[in-house]
Amino acid sequence: METLRFDYPAKKILNCHAHVGVVGSGDLEILLTPSNESNAKVIVRTGSRGFEKTWGEVLARFFTLNDIAATIKINDFGATPGVVSLRLAQALEVSQNES
Amino acid sequence: MKVNMLKDSLVELDARRRAKAILDEGTYRELLDPFAEMESPHLEKQGIVPESDDGVVIAKGRINCEAAVVISIEANFQGGGIGEVSGAKIAGTLELALRNNMNGERVYPVLLFDTGGVRLQEANYGLLSIAEISSAIVALRQYVPVVGLVPGKIGVFGGMSITAGLCTSLLMTKEGRIGLNGPEVIEQEAGIEELDAQDRRKIWNTIGGEQRVATGLAERLVKDDIPSIKEAVHNTFKTDLHEAPRSAQVEGFSSLINSFDPADDIQPYNVRGKWGRIIKGETFSYNNNRKPSQQHDQYGRGYTWFKALADLEEVTQKSAVPSVLCSDNQIGDSNTRIITIVPDAYSKFYRARNGEVGLEQGWSIARYIHQAIDEDKYREKRAIVAIIDVPSQAYGYKEELLGLHQACAAAVDAYATARMAGHPVVSLIVGNAISGAFLSHGLQSNRLLAFDDEKVNVHVMSKSSAARITRRTIDELEVATKRVPAMAYDIKSFEKLGALDDLISGLDFDNPTSKDVEIVLDKLQESIQDIQASGSDLSKRLTSNKSDEHGRTASLKVREMLRELW
Repeated sequence: METLRFDYPAKKILNCHAHVGVVGSGDLEILLTPSNESNAKVIVRTGSRGFEKTWGEVLARFFTLNDIAATIKINDFGATPGVVSLRLAQALEVSQNES
Repeated sequence: MKVNMLKDSLVELDARRRAKAILDEGTYRELLDPFAEMESPHLEKQGIVPESDDGVVIAKGRINCEAAVVISIEANFQGGGIGEVSGAKIAGTLELALRNNMNGERVYPVLLFDTGGVRLQEANYGLLSIAEISSAIVALRQYVPVVGLVPGKIGVFGGMSITAGLCTSLLMTKEGRIGLNGPEVIEQEAGIEELDAQDRRKIWNTIGGEQRVATGLAERLVKDDIPSIKEAVHNTFKTDLHEAPRSAQVEGFSSLINSFDPADDIQPYNVRGKWGRIIKGETFSYNNNRKPSQQHDQYGRGYTWFKALADLEEVTQKSAVPSVLCSDNQIGDSNTRIITIVPDAYSKFYRARNGEVGLEQGWSIARYIHQAIDEDKYREKRAIVAIIDVPSQAYGYKEELLGLHQACAAAVDAYATARMAGHPVVSLIVGNAISGAFLSHGLQSNRLLAFDDEKVNVHVMSKSSAARITRRTIDELEVATKRVPAMAYDIKSFEKLGALDDLISGLDFDNPTSKDVEIVLDKLQESIQDIQASGSDLSKRLTSNKSDEHGRTASLKVREMLRELW
């Protein structure tokens, strides 16, 4: 297991918390908390070591498209980059939709 | 044109959505939700990523306008395994529901089971939690029906199958399964000739919802369709609480077991046939098919200490089942019933010949204890001492077919009921106390005493099996046990968890002298008096000083937070 941390500049303010996914095989859990600071903090705990670069690329792509100010905690159980992107998009949708 | 529409499936949903689906729209309120981040403190140390809710969702709300609390287990996280936090979430919730119902505020508890049992990485925490969950269910059942639902995917196995066996009503889908030992475990422990874990058809025919409902091991078969499941759950709220629950129906299930000879090939339809005859009133009595000379084995610590504490020269059989010994004796001022399980090389159940808890043992313990409860109803409640040297539960195909989890639930029910009725119950661990066997015979006691000896082991699974299932080598497992006392096998590590009341040392454990016996009798007497002066629940295990310092910190924290959020 390893813990990775990433930071991205962000401006967009979010409405509410979001929780999606489960720490099950090939999946991951995301806890998104809106933040007042102008950045996005991401903490990834993953069971698969040695993929820091891949995580960096997947997350950079997401935050380039969505500059949301939030703290995002990810608990990963071997999700592929495709699944990660999907779950991030889902978390974003949940945090914007519900009030 | 008639078009068949897709059903509104519950099985396909995750634990949180399942809980939401059961509760009336707009009433769902989750306690200790993911943002409470009450995760397992033991997994990260072992290199495993935790989940923010530890795999259990607790939600209050209403079901058809009646107050309810739903407990839903997430099968995709660690196989729905019960660890310290997830276990405390379930037990703590049931304890709070109990408090409400005792005060006349009805809250219906509903459990959605999807679990393989104890989470092996938190081993003995899981075991202790399951004992606490069982105790809470037995207590709650007197006030309100406790509803269990097995939607399916994993099903319900291990120690959690015992808790399901205690529920007032158990609902299952066709896809749901219930059994003490999962098919893989049986294949691994007993060999592929006992059961081929790949044979899906055979497995579902044996432990699937349809068979279980047809043989009295579950109350109702439900379709995987949310409105009909909700309706079925709501219907169980009207269950008559005066009827004996499944786990107390000693006569019927003993009859079922007596009606078969394990040497024969027993098919699922045979069991349905026999059960059909039994519910029409037919009975089958015990026939052990053996010569009088073929007695149980007269060796082992269980036998030695039974003979010594019961003060017997010769052990004569009180009942039909030779491997369960029972005797009444005076300990100090207290009338005491002493019970133990011993090896029996001639047992017709060939997977239960080494002192394991099998079908006959579970129901037989239940019979002895219920007998004591009934006899003492209007007089002083005699003490019950369980002598424990149990290597495991019985691993066998026929055991599962005939409902081993229910036999274990019967023993748990009996010990818990006795304790709650005011019988002081003390366990004396003289040898092994493993897994489902320990849950059934020992863990429901007010007090746990153990011998301080290397032959005394407490655990949920043999080292080799635990290593295989958690995908580690035995060496890696040993390293992990050093960091997490709950995973260790020795009694000193178990003591750190705070559940043990006394560790007895300095005796000759195999050949006790009369002085050694005297010492143990004194300790038992002390425990019995101590119980008579205190409460009848298991809370002492959590609040003993030892648990404050080391062991059960998370268990207490979870309960405290639940109380605040309730």
